[in-house]
Amino acid sequence: MDLFPLFLTLKVSLVSAVFTVTIGLSLAWLAARCDFPGKWILDVIIMQPLVIPPTVLGYYLLVVLGKYGPVGRFLNDVFGITLVFTWKGAVVAAVVASLPLFVKPARAALEGVDRNLENAARLLGKTEWQIFRTITIPLAWRGIVAGAVMAFARATGEFGATLMVAGNIPGLTQTLPIAIYDAVQMGDTTLANTMVAIITMFSMSVLYFVNWLTRGKY
Amino acid sequence: MPGGRPVRCLALLWFCIFLLATVPPATFAGEGRLIVAAASTLSFALREVAGDFEEETDVVVILSFGSTGKLARQIENGAPFDIFFAADDAYIDELDEKGLLLPGTKRVYARGRIVLAVNRDSGLVVKGLKGLATPAVERISIANPAHAPYGIAAKEALISAGVWDEVEKRLVYGENIRQALQFVQTGNVTAGIVSISVADVPGVDYTIIDDSLHGPIDQAVALVKGTEAQEEAVRFLNHLFGPEGRKIMKRYGFMIPDGL
Repeated sequence: MDLFPLFLTLKVSLVSAVFTVTIGLSLAWLAARCDFPGKWILDVIIMQPLVIPPTVLGYYLLVVLGKYGPVGRFLNDVFGITLVFTWKGAVVAAVVASLPLFVKPARAALEGVDRNLENAARLLGKTEWQIFRTITIPLAWRGIVAGAVMAFARATGEFGATLMVAGNIPGLTQTLPIAIYDAVQMGDTTLANTMVAIITMFSMSVLYFVNWLTRGKY
Repeated sequence: MPGGRPVRCLALLWFCIFLLATVPPATFAGEGRLIVAAASTLSFALREVAGDFEEETDVVVILSFGSTGKLARQIENGAPFDIFFAADDAYIDELDEKGLLLPGTKRVYARGRIVLAVNRDSGLVVKGLKGLATPAVERISIANPAHAPYGIAAKEALISAGVWDEVEKRLVYGENIRQALQFVQTGNVTAGIVSISVADVPGVDYTIIDDSLHGPIDQAVALVKGTEAQEEAVRFLNHLFGPEGRKIMKRYGFMIPDGL
């Protein structure tokens, strides 16, 4: 069995998890702590990938990030970066698809932090960044890790949007889920079954880990 | 929770990413590399053709299968394909009009034929398309003529045979030709019109429909503009249209018309 799809999938989901946590944490903090007009719109947009069909999501991304799309053209002209039909495109698809799964528990965890503890630190002269780093994050740690792991798992299984944005190019952009789809189409059940077993064991262990981490919490 | 643990976790994560980032993309031996986008119906045939071609030459062929429509959208958005095999030449014409293909490279690689397929267990003998008009044939499946090329041909054939008005109410549309066949094979419909390339399955009897009853079903291929492997692409197509390529394609039910 060609191991490339497996490695590519791990690479894409790890890199996307880093982006998801960085972007998602700011969004979760914004949602949990700030009130501003139009907040509900932001909320709705972030949650969209959970409900719209992944192929639709992929189509949006392809049109926006593609060679002639507004963002795609900008990235290409200014930085010489092409996202579509590369593994980086798969990362973008994975980040967008997994963001809501991270933001939801992270936001809940941030909202659950006792504001009195933060205020106490504030009275003692800590800066906002110090409070966030030493009080808020450690107290919300479980929810954040649970969200990150879920996002990672979602990125591992991402199929529809990735197929649109990164394509199905064996050896270049063919991730594990897409390789499984290909094997099934070809009637290669042995290969498909092997890969399905790998990805099933993986997602089961991830969910077990999340349950263990958040036991009795949600 | 001690502050050290999150930091250590993050460090471990970054270490993993660093390790993975060093995994090289699949290595491609040889000189040339060709990325071929092809309609899923070609999955088996093209894999075999490409395998032969790789053995003969030093060129590595990467096959990317998908639905014709999706692949066309990807080409519009700059997908790095060198060759595009469409299941329907309308897509090739559409991309050509937009200037996305190399002008003059369109070639018909297969001309489809449709057949009348009848479920064997139904015990019915359907005599030609006219036989579909009898009430004994309760339901008839064809591919959706709104977008499937074989569905359009089926509709044309039914109109030419003068039975469209009678059978229209009994038609069931399949999303594609395989689904239309599946309806017949599972006995959910008595008869259907499908392509010859998929009709040879257990439990189904079929007879070829005269191709003067419908417009040609052409499946075309073209080189994608901006390809950096034009020479290899041309060699690949020459191989496909050569005697060995034709033999393989024919075995999978794709008939390359003579003289093309």
